[in-house]
Amino acid sequence: MPPGPPRRIRDERFSVLAGVALAGFLLVVLGLLRLQVVQREELSRLAEQNRIRLDVLRAPRGAIRDRHGRLLADNQPSFDIVFRPMPAESLSRSRTLIPTDWLLRISSLVQDDTTVIKRRVQEANRTGQTAVLRRNAPYSVMAAVEEMRADLSGVDVQVAPIRRYPEGTLGAQLLGYAGEINDVELEKRADAGYRMGDLIGKTGVERRYEEMLRGRDGAEFVVVNAMGKRVSTLSEGPPRPPIPGHDVTLTIDLDIQRALEEGMAGVEHGAAVVMDPRDGSVLAMVSKPVYDPNEFSRGITYARWRELIASGNPLLNRAIQSAYPPGSTFKIVTMLAGLRNELVKADTHLPTSCSGGYFFGGRRFGCWDKRGHGSLNLLGALQFSCDVYFYQLGLKLGLDRLQAVARAVGLGEKTGIDLPGETRGLVPTKEWYERRYKGGMPRGALLNLGIGQGELLCSPLQLALMTSVAANGGRAVRPHVVMKVQGVPEFRIEKPTEPGLDTSPENWTAVHDAMKLVVDAGTATVVRMPGIGVAGKTGTAQNPHGNDHALFVCYAPTDVPTIAIAVVAENSGHGGSVCGPIAAHVLRRVLLGDSLATAPPKRAAKRDSTRAVAADTLEVAGD
Amino acid sequence: MTKLRLPHLDWPLALAVFGLVTIGMLTVYSATSIPGAHQGLWMKQLAWCFLAFGAAWVVAAIHYRLYDSLSWPLYAVSLLLLVAVLVVGTSKMGAKRWIEIGPLQFQPSEIAKIATTFVLARFFDHAKLDLTKVRWWLPPLLIALVPFALVAKEPDLGTGLSFPVMLVAMYFWAGMPLGRLLLGLSPVFNVALFFLTGSIWWFVALFTGLLAFARPKVTLLVGILAINAAVAVALPHMWNQLHDYQRRRIETFLNPDHDPYGAGYQIIQSKIAIGSGGVTGKGYLKGSQKALSFLPMRHTDFIYSVVGEEGGFLGALTVVILYGVVVLRGYRLAAVARDGFASLVAVGVVTALFFHIMVNMLMTVGWAPVTGVPLPFLSYGGTALIVNCVQIGLLQNVALRRREY
Repeated sequence: MPPGPPRRIRDERFSVLAGVALAGFLLVVLGLLRLQVVQREELSRLAEQNRIRLDVLRAPRGAIRDRHGRLLADNQPSFDIVFRPMPAESLSRSRTLIPTDWLLRISSLVQDDTTVIKRRVQEANRTGQTAVLRRNAPYSVMAAVEEMRADLSGVDVQVAPIRRYPEGTLGAQLLGYAGEINDVELEKRADAGYRMGDLIGKTGVERRYEEMLRGRDGAEFVVVNAMGKRVSTLSEGPPRPPIPGHDVTLTIDLDIQRALEEGMAGVEHGAAVVMDPRDGSVLAMVSKPVYDPNEFSRGITYARWRELIASGNPLLNRAIQSAYPPGSTFKIVTMLAGLRNELVKADTHLPTSCSGGYFFGGRRFGCWDKRGHGSLNLLGALQFSCDVYFYQLGLKLGLDRLQAVARAVGLGEKTGIDLPGETRGLVPTKEWYERRYKGGMPRGALLNLGIGQGELLCSPLQLALMTSVAANGGRAVRPHVVMKVQGVPEFRIEKPTEPGLDTSPENWTAVHDAMKLVVDAGTATVVRMPGIGVAGKTGTAQNPHGNDHALFVCYAPTDVPTIAIAVVAENSGHGGSVCGPIAAHVLRRVLLGDSLATAPPKRAAKRDSTRAVAADTLEVAGD
Repeated sequence: MTKLRLPHLDWPLALAVFGLVTIGMLTVYSATSIPGAHQGLWMKQLAWCFLAFGAAWVVAAIHYRLYDSLSWPLYAVSLLLLVAVLVVGTSKMGAKRWIEIGPLQFQPSEIAKIATTFVLARFFDHAKLDLTKVRWWLPPLLIALVPFALVAKEPDLGTGLSFPVMLVAMYFWAGMPLGRLLLGLSPVFNVALFFLTGSIWWFVALFTGLLAFARPKVTLLVGILAINAAVAVALPHMWNQLHDYQRRRIETFLNPDHDPYGAGYQIIQSKIAIGSGGVTGKGYLKGSQKALSFLPMRHTDFIYSVVGEEGGFLGALTVVILYGVVVLRGYRLAAVARDGFASLVAVGVVTALFFHIMVNMLMTVGWAPVTGVPLPFLSYGGTALIVNCVQIGLLQNVALRRREY
């Protein structure tokens, strides 16, 4: 302030500020008068005999549908046994003490542990909010509670929505499930307005799209009497209606999903993915064994959960969370790398012809066909999956060029699919070998990499992505399972994480021709379709823990590819004969519209070791 | 250091504060007397109380010239702390407001509030200051809006808003004509009226009245009109562009008490507690509603409802009168201080206090949203008590030297 403004101006300004202050204080006094004089009686009555309770109006969770709008998940009413905190007088007395006999009766009624019930009741008393004691109670329990309600103060039956999966086990791991929020999640998400007893997506789409699917609960203030019975609603706060969550539409096609499930029926442990190579949308995804998510939304006991985990861990989505050696399906990558780096052409014969094995560094590396393939060109080598040819090609390529192409088609990194818990797989680099082995990459590792063995690991989703990129002639796509979210028009599918692979059209023609030969007259003739070109590659991955894993990838039709499939069956032998028929079944359904196509014959899957699963689970844990 | 001469203190101010702190102590004791986790907190508060009075004493004893010369470095440090709190701060109830150093916890926003007051006072105390000119408006705006934005991001909108409010009072005190000031604030009215009424016509009427009152120059008028037009066009458009989950986020931001029904519940419980107190109250330690654990912040943010329940209208009115004394004596000090810096600091400090008092009290009577702002001098909490007493120390500093230039 410039020194010495006239006294009069200062006084004027003081009066303005003082006036504002006085007006503010007057407003507070008016507020006090309104409450303490005008509304005194009404508020005193509320304070003394009746209590205000907050009743939550549950918002329904958004539905999940397939690409044609067919229902995959929605809500159904569940009758919950709840505890409503008691009115103030009894509360201040019983705050620390919950009568033991009351507790015992409740816990025998709802069939839960007394410590659990006690904790929930205490929490409810502390916060003044309703606690759920038993979700989705069967009719008998409900009837018993209704009968004894007069004696059990605070206990009530409340209707709330729970999740329903009408297709049961179909696409279980993909959809995931929604269940009651646990303490850890509650702690982490307290900021987002979650409360005890809320539903929250635990796995799969339910978890990844939690924010969209979740509605916003409403609330209503009600006046209750000393027994906790509702007397009226409170005029004070109008009820806040619940806002339902957004419906989510998946890229999954229920028909294709069903076809794939039928095809996989004979596989004990494994996974398969069907993808549209044009845009990366997932048309079907199956992981075996399966579970019924409805069991989880109804509330599952710990014993049952242990039982499930012990039976091959069906909760694991093997399509994205397990990583397998790609085996011979990886020869597509080796072939591409050789062509791209101009080391071979479609008709190139390599120096050593196949006599059933190859000597390198004083060691013999066998070909799968012990009789030998003789001298083959590149196309023939892929067609008959000749290991000796690809040993030599791997050696010519070297690690850097091979792994660069593998990464470009989507291996070794997360594909960025919109599902939680995806594995990265493994495409080893020079640095990786240096960390792993003293003295860097061991001699001979390149030979194994060339045929898809060694340290390589891929999820079935990555294999489907690799096949899609190959079918596209190198254009990368972003795998995704959600097509649109209702009410969120700005929802976009994200860009691919990898740039794709840029190489000449002749090279692509060679790869496509070779893959078509595999089906027409090679190792996967079971997949031949009348009138429609199919291109594929079989794989049999050696598994140190048990029988070989069978793999198969393919795309069709060959002129304009609209479908890409990857199938992995654990511990069940040769890829062409085990996984081929599964892919063929899906192709017949989708491309020939043959709704009567019968499922491939069930094969008794050989399974002599449970350690294989343990190894795969470890892969996920490390991710 | 000047030797303190007791007669020069502003005694009504000192006594009013002492009265408020005493009521605060008693109420914290009452609010935490029921068995539970908070029992015995009043002893901690008593310890804080002595510390706070000591801090006030020290702040009052140092000549304000020192604060004047240190204002920019102080401001810079406080901004750094505000950035630091966003990065390494401790989260409480979903907001990052605290920095922890060993056992100590403090809110950088409180330090920033005082530092910003100093810088603004120093700026407005400039010899060539002419607030009728636009180029003199802008720097203070920037000085206040930077800490505002940082504090609002924590999020702590309640405390954050005290920066612009303080700025407006200091603009006015430094000599900006009232008409111009209101005109400059018109975009704020614009937004507020749009949200309250949902139509822009209320604002158009208000703006026309303002023009008749302020009669600005053509260039200024065009500028203000342009800003308002931009706001009026952009706002509804932007709001409609948002999807309900995005709006939800904005609402959560405006109401940092994230629990969507928790806030409404607290307000109803607060109203019941105050209303049931009636004119004379239920008597000290006899409140029944405070015993409800339904009011989880009864010893902090909602302490005034305990005063209203146990002390009734008379008790609550006493507190209002004491606050009235503090605020009016504070503004009076600003009016009589001869030094420009001292006078402006007094206005800034008192306005910030007044704003917090209003936000909290209007919240407890149900006329303002729940923003998590404590009631100065009454609420439990060490940092707030110390900072509020430091603010009073600054006012006493001005009182001690009111005749100096």
